[in-house]
Amino acid sequence: MSSTFSGDETAPFFGFLGAAAALGFSCMGAAYGTTKSGVGVASMGVMRPELVMKSIVPVVMAGVLGIYGLIIAVIISTGINPKAKSYYLFDGYAHLSSGLACGLAGLSAGMAIGIVGDAGVSRFGKFVEIQFDKHGRI
Amino acid sequence: MSGAIVIGASGSWARAMLKISPYTFSAIGIAVAIGVSVLGAAWGIYITGSSLIGAAIKAPRITSKNLISVIFCEAVAIYGVIVAIILQTKLESVPSLQIYAPESLRAGYAIFASGLIVGFANLVCGLCVGIIGSSCALSDAQNSTLFVKILVIEIFGSALGLFGVIVGIIMSAQATWPSKV
Repeated sequence: MSSTFSGDETAPFFGFLGAAAALGFSCMGAAYGTTKSGVGVASMGVMRPELVMKSIVPVVMAGVLGIYGLIIAVIISTGINPKAKSYYLFDGYAHLSSGLACGLAGLSAGMAIGIVGDAGVSRFGKFVEIQFDKHGRI
Repeated sequence: MSGAIVIGASGSWARAMLKISPYTFSAIGIAVAIGVSVLGAAWGIYITGSSLIGAAIKAPRITSKNLISVIFCEAVAIYGVIVAIILQTKLESVPSLQIYAPESLRAGYAIFASGLIVGFANLVCGLCVGIIGSSCALSDAQNSTLFVKILVIEIFGSALGLFGVIVGIIMSAQATWPSKV
């Protein structure tokens, strides 16, 4: 019986979709950041292996984006409980927009981390190499 | 009982969506969970495998160590299988009067979203691990001290699939069907 369900019937669809968007898009951003900077680290590491451990910082920062998406997705999905608290379309749309906000911000942050990390680690490798040139060539 | 308000559909799109059976949504969610995860795993394996085999022509010593990258991609497919089996055990039969009750609809939406989460998180994880694995094989062929360092990056990448599984399982706990009266 629907005596304990309170709220709009279609609202949980939007709420759960918000949680899915939060994690899905953040994971896409984290994956892009990890991939792009990781490929840069691998190609730089062939010439200067001693700098690889320092260059893993962009990868760690991109991984943190996945954790942000995980937190928001769990908060949203435990907040959808129409039996305990009424869940109207307003709540459903609020959860959808918060999930999209977290997810799309994570996606853009991950893409930025990837592109900057890739450029940064390859310049990092080249910079140290040029500095050690014997004839003082800069 | 008092104070519980159930609002039905207010527009034509909502009325149409309320006529879709929750079992449709659940089935699509379970299919996406396993199908898209396996797509991600396969994509990663072919990216890694082709680089690995090509690099092993000149450096055959890399083959046995770099199979770890293939195993990381395969783990993504296994996460998809596990979650699909868990989601399919959450399906219960309800009496036909209750199929379109709000609680059953909510359970259907929860399984759908859980399947979407797991599928797409594993897709991007498989791609990420595959591309990093291919770089790992190529740089290992040039300098064997790099293997363990690039493997650390792959471990960060494979954590993304685990996040998807965790959230998928937490969300599937929301899939409670109305009890048979």
